[in-house]
Amino acid sequence: MVKYRDRKSRRGVSPRSSRLQAWRAGDSLLFAMRMLENFLFLIIDDDWQGAIVFWNNRMIEVKGLTKYFGALAALQNASFSVGAGEIVGFLGPNGAGKSTAMRILTGFFPASRGEARVAGFEVHEQPLEVKRRIGYLPEHVPLYDEMTVKGFLDYVARVKGLPRASRRREMSRVMEVCGLNDMGGRLLRQLSKGYRQRVGIAQALTGSPPVLILDEPTVGLDPGQIVEIRRMIRELGGTHTVLLSTHILPEVSMVCDRVIIISRGHIVAQDTMERLTAAGGKTLEQAFMEAVASDAKEAIGEDVT
Amino acid sequence: MNNIIAVCRREFASFFFTPIGYVVAGMFAAISGIAFTLSLFDYSKMSVEPTAYGFNTTPDFAETLLSPYLVFCGMLIMFLTPLITMRLVAEEKHRGTMELLLTWPLRDRDIIFGKFLAALGMLFVMMLVIAAHLALIGRITTFEPAVLVFGLLTVALMGAAFISLGMFISSVTRNQITSGTITFGVSLLLYVAGNLGERLPAENPTPAGWPEALRTAAGHVYMLLRGLIVELAVDAHASEMALGIVQPRDVAYYLLFTAFFLFLTFRAFESRNWRA
Repeated sequence: MVKYRDRKSRRGVSPRSSRLQAWRAGDSLLFAMRMLENFLFLIIDDDWQGAIVFWNNRMIEVKGLTKYFGALAALQNASFSVGAGEIVGFLGPNGAGKSTAMRILTGFFPASRGEARVAGFEVHEQPLEVKRRIGYLPEHVPLYDEMTVKGFLDYVARVKGLPRASRRREMSRVMEVCGLNDMGGRLLRQLSKGYRQRVGIAQALTGSPPVLILDEPTVGLDPGQIVEIRRMIRELGGTHTVLLSTHILPEVSMVCDRVIIISRGHIVAQDTMERLTAAGGKTLEQAFMEAVASDAKEAIGEDVT
Repeated sequence: MNNIIAVCRREFASFFFTPIGYVVAGMFAAISGIAFTLSLFDYSKMSVEPTAYGFNTTPDFAETLLSPYLVFCGMLIMFLTPLITMRLVAEEKHRGTMELLLTWPLRDRDIIFGKFLAALGMLFVMMLVIAAHLALIGRITTFEPAVLVFGLLTVALMGAAFISLGMFISSVTRNQITSGTITFGVSLLLYVAGNLGERLPAENPTPAGWPEALRTAAGHVYMLLRGLIVELAVDAHASEMALGIVQPRDVAYYLLFTAFFLFLTFRAFESRNWRA
């Protein structure tokens, strides 16, 4: 079973993290830009939470997260972290606790135990700060059916506190990105599943929050749309931190830098794609099945740290 | 504040994206219009022949027409508010948009006050109908501005009270029909409470055979409950105020009523933090 290791041991492995850890590659210009970016982040945000993110480079950090629904433990002692600019895939069978973890991270409901931080802010202590930095696509893409696409996105921009001047610009930007340009006047009720999904993603992207949490972003899309959405997510990486969930294995290898495999509330493996598959000459399917199978034996007595 | 306005705008607009806004406003206009016309006819008959109706002189306009009409409008609003409030929170929960609302950078108070204000907006639309009727009367006769101002205030306060009650019930239910039905039932219960209160004897009803100390104690409890039931009736506080006789306790009744259920709505929203 591949376990989470200290960040240092993973340096330079994935192409994306090597870009972020620029000093390893000797790309001093990128490093300087990142320093500047973080410095600006510190000044603009005017708080010390930014410093924490700057020093450990973790946009999402989860420690010992547990969630009970009655007697059922949907999530047990889950710990993981997502670095700034990373695209991380949450992989697991149905009912494994992917959505639960995401809902806790977005502040929809609190955890029973444990700590979850987004951009350095604890989700339950400072929910508003967290929500300002998150774009969230819920699983079944709930939308206000009686509104038009434009009306809805304008409402989202208002709710996210965008100033009047930039609202229209932001709306046309996200509509462009999500391919909704011809759909502005349509009622959300009349949209096909694929377009609803796009509106959901557009809603998450509005205000370009640094962290995107996407719950099964490609479910219900036709093959063409799936390719498009995946391409879009890849493009968002680097500038955005993306945590997405899926149970489609090839999707993970196509989109993500790193994978977190979750089974029955336990995190059973988390590592880069290369390490999960290539190291043992396994396919992702094999790695996934092994990780899920080992969960029954191991995860009960031993918590993944 | 901007967030409250944003939520309120959407909420109010969605009354008119769906038929519900037109239905409520239309029904209110039709029914209050009929009531207004009928009471105007009745009043004109009374003023022509006051003795036939048990009056010595021409009856007071405000007392016989305006005040009953406004109280009737308040009652009509009581019947119609479940239609406005039933969807406020229950619908969001039912179709899952609550997940969006609660993960957008909104505080609970932005959501609750936004929705409350939107429902007040619907109330305002209904009051425009009343204002049209009052303007018609203004063409015919003159009346005290106090009657006008406090009459409308009465309707507004009553409406706000019912809306906050409805919003609370909507926030603890998932199904709009359940929400609307319970709101309607509780409103009706508060309405009949007045009739019940009138029947309750004003003196201590405990048997004379009881020990004196017990009688007194039971009497106190009884008087407290009776007072509560008498004061709970929503219409009891309206009729005098609609005449322009404003007493602090009447205004306080509606304001506290509203505040209490708004407070409960906040608690209902917060319950997601401790309910499994």
